Amino acid sequence: MMTGVMSATLDDVSIQRAKSGDISALEDIYRAYEHMVYALARRICRAPEDAEDVLQETFLEVCRSIGTFRGTGHGSLTAWIKRIAASKALMRIRREKYRDTDELHEDTAPSRKGSDVALRMDLDAAINRLSDTARAVVWLHDVEGYTHGEIGAMMGKSVSFSKSQLARAHVRLRGWLGEEATA
Amino acid sequence: MTHLTMQQLLDVREPASSPGSQSARQHLGTCHVCQDELERSHQRTAQLKALPTLQAPRDLWPEIRSQVVAHRRRRRAAWGGVGGLALAASIALFLVLGGRPVAAPEEESSRAIGTAMAQSQMLETALGRYRPEGRVTDGRTATVVAGLETRIAEVDRQLQVAGMMRQRVRDEALLSLWRQRVGLMDALVNVHLTRATNAGL
Repeated sequence: MMTGVMSATLDDVSIQRAKSGDISALEDIYRAYEHMVYALARRICRAPEDAEDVLQETFLEVCRSIGTFRGTGHGSLTAWIKRIAASKALMRIRREKYRDTDELHEDTAPSRKGSDVALRMDLDAAINRLSDTARAVVWLHDVEGYTHGEIGAMMGKSVSFSKSQLARAHVRLRGWLGEEATA
Repeated sequence: MTHLTMQQLLDVREPASSPGSQSARQHLGTCHVCQDELERSHQRTAQLKALPTLQAPRDLWPEIRSQVVAHRRRRRAAWGGVGGLALAASIALFLVLGGRPVAAPEEESSRAIGTAMAQSQMLETALGRYRPEGRVTDGRTATVVAGLETRIAEVDRQLQVAGMMRQRVRDEALLSLWRQRVGLMDALVNVHLTRATNAGL
């Protein structure tokens, strides 16, 4: 969906113009990627105002550093911008020191299976209930396609940290979504 | 019967990076409970990917653009400071060599560069006093200003590169670039002056 929009508005010439500092070409890049960056930031940061800050910080970085971008074509530009956005969003959740709310909910939630079914919720609400770290790992791995190695590197953690966060998050999502195995 | 843990299932899910243990794969081949669990994890991931794209509630480009332009202006001002020092050095060199009856080509070139740098700096100072970033500008003027600022930034980049060239080539390049810069700065000042005149400021 997003790729189609970018194809229509961005070509290699636009990217080269942006690399030379052309402000209108930089605006074209912003227009092509603003929703992708905001959506990623919003999924990781939870609060809309934090996602807006990440969007702004990401594009300030893009405008200042695009001269160092070595790739060509919007495919590699997408990956480059997405990486900047993910790093900014992770930096923000570290800085904000959000509470790990799923830990809180886990302590207070009923433990019997029948009660868990009563807690059934939609996926959007369930993913928002995860801790910031777990939600970021789920989103970056399952949706954005980053490997555990890449996620670990961006978070300053190990591969096994990323793997265990993902597994624990899936267990929690399964419970909250009422998908517990019946066998 | 012991079923696979979520981590074992997720490892099996991505064979490229985590092949999973042989025994986990063998178990999965015969256990319908774990097969169902794996299928549910695939479905969860598919549902995550299908969640609606969240759209930015407002247009942040005007703020980003103004910060980028301000950043470029600060960089140019810093370059102007370096230019001022270089100008002082050029003038000093000229004064040292100025006692000679006939100026060598290098001296002529140095003097011309110094003149262009001084003009550029004078225009930069005039623009700095005017403080255009604190004034309301219509879209058309902003576009023209942005275009000129982009070209000035490009000339500044080329000036930095030219500074590393051999002397004769460097002087020719510097002179040409500084003259371009004066022309662009002059145009930039004129755009702001025209806007101020039209606005009755």
